Amino acid sequence: MTSLTKKVLAAAAGAVVIAGLATAPAAQAAPKSGLKIAVIPKAVNIGYFKGWNDGAQKACKELKAAKCDYIGPTQATGPAQLKFINQAIQQKYNAIVLSAADQNALAPALKKAKAAGICVVTSDADVADTTTRAASVLPASAQRIGEAEVDWIAQEIGGKGKVAILSAAATAANQNAWIDFMKAYLPKKYPNIQLVGVYYGDDDATKSAQQYNQILTEHPDIAGIISPTTVGIRAAAQEKKSKGGTVAITGLGLPSEMKDYVLGGQVTKFGLWNPIDLGYVGTYAAAECASSGNKVPKSFKAGSKTYTQGANGVIFLGDPATFDKSNITKFAAIY
Amino acid sequence: MSRGAFRLSWDKSILLLLILLVLFGGMNNEYFATGDNVNFILGDISEIMLIAFPMALLIIVKEIDLSVASSLTLASALCGVTWQATGSIWVAVLAGIMTGVACGLLNGLLVTRLGLSSLAVTIGTLALYRGLCYVALGDTPIADFPTEFTDLGYTPIAGTFLPWVVVPMVVAGIVFWYVLHGTRFGRWLFAIGQGDEAAEFSGIPVLRVKLWLFILTGLMCGIAGIGYTVRFASSSPDGALGFELLVIAAVLFGGVAIAGGVGTIWGVIAAVLIWGFSQSYLQLIGWDANALVIVSGVLLLLSVTIPRLLGALRESVAQRTFRPKGTEGAPPPPGEGVAEHSPAGAGHDQGSHRG
Amino acid sequence: MSGGLSRVARLREVPVLSALIVLLLLTAILNPAFRGGEGLKAILIESALIAFLAAGQANLIIMRHIDLSVSSTAGLVSFLIGNTSMNNMGISVPQSLMIAVAVGAAVGIVNGALVAYLKLPSLVVTIGTLYLVRGIFNYLAGGVTVTADALPGWVAAIGSGSILGVPDLFVIALILCVLMTIVQTSTRWGRDLYAIGSNPPAAARVGIPVAHREFAAFVLNGIIAGLAGMLLLFRFSFADATAGLGIELYVVAACVIGGVAIAGGVGTAMGALIGAVLLQAITFALGALGVSQFWQQAVAGALLVLAIAFDRIVALRSTQRINRLAEAPV
Repeated sequence: MTSLTKKVLAAAAGAVVIAGLATAPAAQAAPKSGLKIAVIPKAVNIGYFKGWNDGAQKACKELKAAKCDYIGPTQATGPAQLKFINQAIQQKYNAIVLSAADQNALAPALKKAKAAGICVVTSDADVADTTTRAASVLPASAQRIGEAEVDWIAQEIGGKGKVAILSAAATAANQNAWIDFMKAYLPKKYPNIQLVGVYYGDDDATKSAQQYNQILTEHPDIAGIISPTTVGIRAAAQEKKSKGGTVAITGLGLPSEMKDYVLGGQVTKFGLWNPIDLGYVGTYAAAECASSGNKVPKSFKAGSKTYTQGANGVIFLGDPATFDKSNITKFAAIY
Repeated sequence: MSRGAFRLSWDKSILLLLILLVLFGGMNNEYFATGDNVNFILGDISEIMLIAFPMALLIIVKEIDLSVASSLTLASALCGVTWQATGSIWVAVLAGIMTGVACGLLNGLLVTRLGLSSLAVTIGTLALYRGLCYVALGDTPIADFPTEFTDLGYTPIAGTFLPWVVVPMVVAGIVFWYVLHGTRFGRWLFAIGQGDEAAEFSGIPVLRVKLWLFILTGLMCGIAGIGYTVRFASSSPDGALGFELLVIAAVLFGGVAIAGGVGTIWGVIAAVLIWGFSQSYLQLIGWDANALVIVSGVLLLLSVTIPRLLGALRESVAQRTFRPKGTEGAPPPPGEGVAEHSPAGAGHDQGSHRG
Repeated sequence: MSGGLSRVARLREVPVLSALIVLLLLTAILNPAFRGGEGLKAILIESALIAFLAAGQANLIIMRHIDLSVSSTAGLVSFLIGNTSMNNMGISVPQSLMIAVAVGAAVGIVNGALVAYLKLPSLVVTIGTLYLVRGIFNYLAGGVTVTADALPGWVAAIGSGSILGVPDLFVIALILCVLMTIVQTSTRWGRDLYAIGSNPPAAARVGIPVAHREFAAFVLNGIIAGLAGMLLLFRFSFADATAGLGIELYVVAACVIGGVAIAGGVGTAMGALIGAVLLQAITFALGALGVSQFWQQAVAGALLVLAIAFDRIVALRSTQRINRLAEAPV
C-alpha cells in the first residue's frame, strides 16, 4: 500500500525531527496491524460519542485493526464503565481508548489493565491519576476552553451584566476544571460581569431544562448563560425557543443538535472541538502504544498530522471551533 | 406419591441454574471461568450481595427499603470526609459504617414509630440521603485515600484469585443464613411475614423487630459503602445510582416473596450470583449493554411467572392425581420439575402490599 | 357511603393544597423575583408530566398496586414518535396518538395480565417491565438523538403554548386529573377500586370482579404512560435514549404526597396532581430562597419525608373523625 509506505516515511521523518528532544525509538515503525482495540465511551447512548466512535473506527480501518469494538454502559458513570474495562482485560485486548466518566473511580481497574499489559489511552475525558494511562488526547487545555467560553458570552452581552453557568453533574471533572478557570478569568478580564451561580443539570435534558427555569426565576435580569456541556446548552436553547426571552446562551454544543437554534436566533455563537478527531487521534495513540512496548511515543502520526505529547502525556488537539449562522449548516451535517 | 422423590422449590432451582450456567459458560467461553474474571464478578456483585441479605429479611416481614443506594453513598461520603478531617482510615471506616446505621435507624423510626409505609418513607429518605451526600462532598469527590486501603479493591487475597470483599460477603452470608434459618429471631420474621397481628398476639415484639431490621439494613449499607469506596478508590456523591432496584430485583429473583413470609438466604445468594455470572457471560460473548438490561428484566419476570405457572400446574395435577411429564419451564431436573410452592405472589390477594 | 368517600377524599387534599399555597406565598414574600408569575408558570410546566402520570398511577395505588414501568414506556413512546418524524419528515397527530396508545397498551396488557390474572406481585412485575422496556428502548435508540428540527411544528406549539396564561401541558394534565377524579369518585368502576384497595377479599366476596378491574387499571395506566411520552416530547422537543429515565419514583412520590396512600383505599387523581405541583414548588422555592445547590436536594428530601409523615397524621385524625361519624347513628 502506498499510504503505508508514505506513513512509514513520514513517521521516520517525524522521528528525525524529534530525535534530539526525546528518547523515542529512533526508527519508529508504523503501528502494528491486527490489534484488538476496545473503544469505551462514557455511555453508548450519547450522540456526541457516535462522532467520537466514528473517528475511532476510521483510525482502526486505516490501522487494519483486527477488532475495534465500541463497548460501554448505558449510564455515564465510572462504576458502570468498570464492567467494560474488565471485559477488555478478560478478552485480552491490546489497547483501550477510553473517555472516563469518572476521574477517580476507574483508577483500580486501569491499574489492573496496565498490569495485564493493556495500553490505555484516554480520549475526550482524562483520569486524575495520570500514571494509570499511557497518554491522553484532549481538545485543548482547561484554561483555554474556560476562557474562550467567557469571551464568547462577554462579546454577546457587551461585557456587562449577570451571568450564570449551567453545568453537567456537580462532580463532572472536565466541567469543574473549565469553570474554575472561568471564575478566575471573569473578574480579571470583565469586571462588570457578575457570576451569579453555577447550576447543575446532570447532563440530563429534564434536569437541565428545570435548572434553566430556575436560573430565570431566581435572576429575572440575567444577561447570559454559559453551558459548557452539550446537553445543557441544547436544553437551555430549547427552553428559550419555547418561552421566548433575551438571555444570551453560549457554551459547548454539538452542531447537529444546535443547528435549529442558531438558525432560529436563540443562540448566536457557540463552540466545540471535533469529537471525530478526538476518537481518531486517541485510537492512533493507543495503537502506537500497543506497538511500541506499552508506551506512546513522544511524537506520533495520525493520518496526515503529527502529534506530540506535552506534560503528563497529554496531547491537545487545539482550540475549540466556533459555530454561528455562517457555518452551522455545514458542520451540522458532519457531527 | 413418588413425586416426593424429587421436590424442587424455586430457590433450589436457581441454585441448579447457577451451577449449569457456570458449567455451560466455562465450556463455551475461554474467558469466562478464569480466576481473574471470577474475581471481577465477585467484586462487582459485592455491594448488591451485602445489601440483599438484610433486604431479604425486610421483605420477608413485608417492609422494603428503597433508600439503600443513597445510604451506601452517604456512608462512602462520610468515610471520605472523616478521612480528610482526621487522617485516620480506621476512624473513617467506622464513621462510614455508623452513617449507614444512622440512615437505617431513621428509616426504622419513621416506619415503626409513626406507622408510615416503608415504601413511601424510603422514597423520601432516598432523596434526603442522596442530598446529604452533596452537602458533605459538594462538587469535589474525595480520592486521596491511602493506597494500602484502595489496593484492597483490586489485589486478590494472597495465594488466591478471590477479592478481599469476599470476606465480608462470606461472613455476612453465614450470619444471615444462621439468623434467618437457625434462630428464634428468624422464625419470628416468618411469623411476622404471615401476618403482623397474629405475630403480635403470639408475643412477638413486631415493631421492635422491624426497627432492628432497618438498622441492620443500614449497617450493611455502611459496610457496602466502605467496599464501594475501596473498589472505586474514591467517595463521590453520585455513586451507586439505581442500585436499589437491582438489590430488590435480586432478592425477589431469589424467591423471597414480596407478599412476605417466604424466603431463603441461599436463594438470595444464588440469585445474586446468577445475575453477576450471567451478565458477565453475555458480555463476554458480545452482547451489548442494552441487551443486558433486557435480560435483567426477563429474568425477574420469569422468576415470578415460572413458579406461579408450575404451582398452578401442580395444583391441577394434584386434583387429577396424575403425574406429568414435567418438562415445562425451569431448569430441567433429572426427574419431574415440580415446584414445591410458589413463593412470590402467594399472598397477592391477602393484601400483598405493606400498609 | 359515596358521600363519606368523597368527604375523605376532600379532607385528604386540603392539607396538601394549603401547604402548597403557604409555600408559594412565603416564597413570593421573601423573593420579589418570584412574584412575576413566571416562577409559578415554570412550576406548572415542570409538574405537568408527573401529574399526568400520577393520574393513572393513583388508580393502581388505590388498589394497593404500583407500576414502576411508566418511565420506560413514556421514554420509548417519546423516542418512537420523534424517530418516526425524523425518518419520514414529520408525523401527524393521529399517527402519534396511535403509537402512544399502541405501545402504552401493550406494556399495560403485559403488566395487567401478569398481575391481575396470574396474581403476580405488581412491584416485581413492573420492575421487570421497567428494565425490559428500557432495554428495548435503548437498543432501538442507540446513540440516535431526535432534535427539534426533525419534529413537526405542532409539537413545539403545544409544548410552549398556553391558555389564559396557563401552560398547555399543565392544562392537559389538569383535564386528565379532573376526569380521572370524576371516574374515581362518581362511577361504579371507580368506587370498585377503593373497595378493592380497602379490603381485597371482601371486595371479591361482594361480587366485584377484582381481576378485571386490576387488568383494566393497568392497561389504562399503560396508555396514560404512552400518552405521557407525547407530553415528554412536547416538553423538550428532543428525544434520546435517556428520555424519561428515573421519573417513576417522582410519580409515586407525587401520589403519596397528594394523599394517595400506599396502603390503598384512599386518595384521588386531583390529590396526586396537587402533590406533583407541591413537589416541584419545593424545588423552585428552595432556589428562589437562595438555598445552595448542594443543600437543595437534601432539604427537598427532608420536606418529602415530613409531608409523608404529616399526611399520615392528618389521615389518622380524619379516620378517627369518620369512625365517630359512622358510629353515631348506630
